[in-house]
Amino acid sequence: MTDLMPLIRNETIKMVRKKRFYVILLVLLVLVPMFTYAQMKVTERNREKFGTDWRRSVQQAITDNQNSLGSSRLPEEWKKYRQIYIQQMKYYLDHDVNPQEPGGVTFTREFMDNASSLFIPLLIMGLASDIVSSERTTGTIKMLLTKPVRRWKVLFSKLVTLMMFVSLTVMAAFVMCYAISGLVFGYQGFDMPVFTGFQLNGSDVDLSAVHAVPQWLYLFLQLGLIWFVSAVVAMLAFMISVLVRSTAASIVIMMAALIAGSILTNMASAWQSAKYLFMVNLELTDYLSGTPAPIEGMTLGFSLAVLAVWGLASLVVSFLVFTKQDILN
Amino acid sequence: MRSTAKLWRMISLLSGIATVLLICGFFYAVKDISNPSSAAGISVSPGADSGSEQPAPSASDEIGIVAIGDSLAKGTGDDEGEGFAGRTVELLKQENPGREVKLYGNLGINGLLTTGLLDELKENGVQHMLKEANVILLSIGGNDLFQGAEALEEGGDLPTAAELNKAIDEASVRLAAVIPAIKKLNPEAALIYVGLYNPFSDIEQMRAIGNTGVTRWNTAAQTAVNKYSGALMIPTYDLFAGNLERFLSSDHFHPNGDGYEQIAQRIVQSLKQ
Repeated sequence: MTDLMPLIRNETIKMVRKKRFYVILLVLLVLVPMFTYAQMKVTERNREKFGTDWRRSVQQAITDNQNSLGSSRLPEEWKKYRQIYIQQMKYYLDHDVNPQEPGGVTFTREFMDNASSLFIPLLIMGLASDIVSSERTTGTIKMLLTKPVRRWKVLFSKLVTLMMFVSLTVMAAFVMCYAISGLVFGYQGFDMPVFTGFQLNGSDVDLSAVHAVPQWLYLFLQLGLIWFVSAVVAMLAFMISVLVRSTAASIVIMMAALIAGSILTNMASAWQSAKYLFMVNLELTDYLSGTPAPIEGMTLGFSLAVLAVWGLASLVVSFLVFTKQDILN
Repeated sequence: MRSTAKLWRMISLLSGIATVLLICGFFYAVKDISNPSSAAGISVSPGADSGSEQPAPSASDEIGIVAIGDSLAKGTGDDEGEGFAGRTVELLKQENPGREVKLYGNLGINGLLTTGLLDELKENGVQHMLKEANVILLSIGGNDLFQGAEALEEGGDLPTAAELNKAIDEASVRLAAVIPAIKKLNPEAALIYVGLYNPFSDIEQMRAIGNTGVTRWNTAAQTAVNKYSGALMIPTYDLFAGNLERFLSSDHFHPNGDGYEQIAQRIVQSLKQ
């Protein structure tokens, strides 16, 4: 432990000096205002159409979805989604709770929900993809490994640093999103009730366990789930970074995997065994909001298990390869 | 080296706190999702504030229109997607340039039967919408009478006179319950029931049966509406009887854009200005 701390510290300083984290902050600083502006436009248009009365717009959304259920061209899977959506919206109406009370906190909640499967993993990739491979590209790996420190300790210090920055990234995404969207929508909404605990049973929603939580708690839970996803993505990117010499190649591999995941998810997959792939299991927050999982038979426990196995396996591979590998160039 | 030491302390502290918090959130979330019934929730009193913030109907000078019922209310067959609801709003806007005319919502659902409508009227969201409107446009019954319409498209059998009569007898009872249900929700609003037309008057063996059925239905609807002030039925039978080619859409059941325009004109004519 005594010789680990300086290593971790060293890696942390390197991470800061490489300015990767600033890039992440910059990306957030540019993109979040864009999303905020888009959301503002949507809100404006809704207000034009439905006035300030959210019940009307929710009821209209219910009716529109009911209508689309009758269409024979709609795939069965999508019908299931819509039936679930209708039942959830009715629940909100029955309890007189606005599912989209405008405010910075609501915006942040929805943004994080959407960001959890692609946007935040991409940011994490930016941190993780070159954490080992860049040492090779610049040749500094020789200096690192000629120190009188066991190799696994070197790698471990990099992993710990990475995890530290994963936590910081998730937090930064939340803080920036709240700070920026609050300028437009206001900073209120932490105590607004949000419903969770919808249990899905085919196209039926079991409402018996639904309970309201204040939005701050919901966000807290949501961020926790996003953190887990991010940690697993970081471990995978970490492995790729160990295996592949070039940073560019390692970014491409991870990016391709993530994007393939979002495409597969959208296909409402009939390919059942795709559920064992890590990238279709990234939307853990869906289990919180009660959105049906993309493939039949996926539950929170299942997704967690799949992600954990992928994460652990990639760690094992990383350490095995790194400690045995010959450093040539 | 002072600055690196400071930087390290700051980053390690921040990330340490963040990690602990996020891990707590993660475990709480797992617990909450896998065992939702035991999770403590805050109580939300249903509709506690709905009484106070219920906007009074016709509070301002605004004309708020809500359409409810079947595919005709929705506007199926209209290429522009407006239906008589959207077109009524347009016409009213032209006639009343000074007033705000808004379509509060279109609750029309394709294929809705009178039974379905009675269920729908019990829903909170629907009730809320109806309470706010000053004009309610209702279209229902077509599917009860001509349920075979889609079967007809696919070469099914035409409804017989006996079947039609039975359907009318049952559905008109439910229609007689729909009108007071809406009136009870919103006594102030003008309720306009759009009468039925016979979409089959150009089919030889259906003309007489359909005409008789539609007439019986419309009479029943008229009777149901008559009891209430501010409720009325507008006829469409005569519009379509000789103009099926002109006013029906390609499915030979729903009106086309022109047909909806005609219905909308009648609605506007019947509205007290």
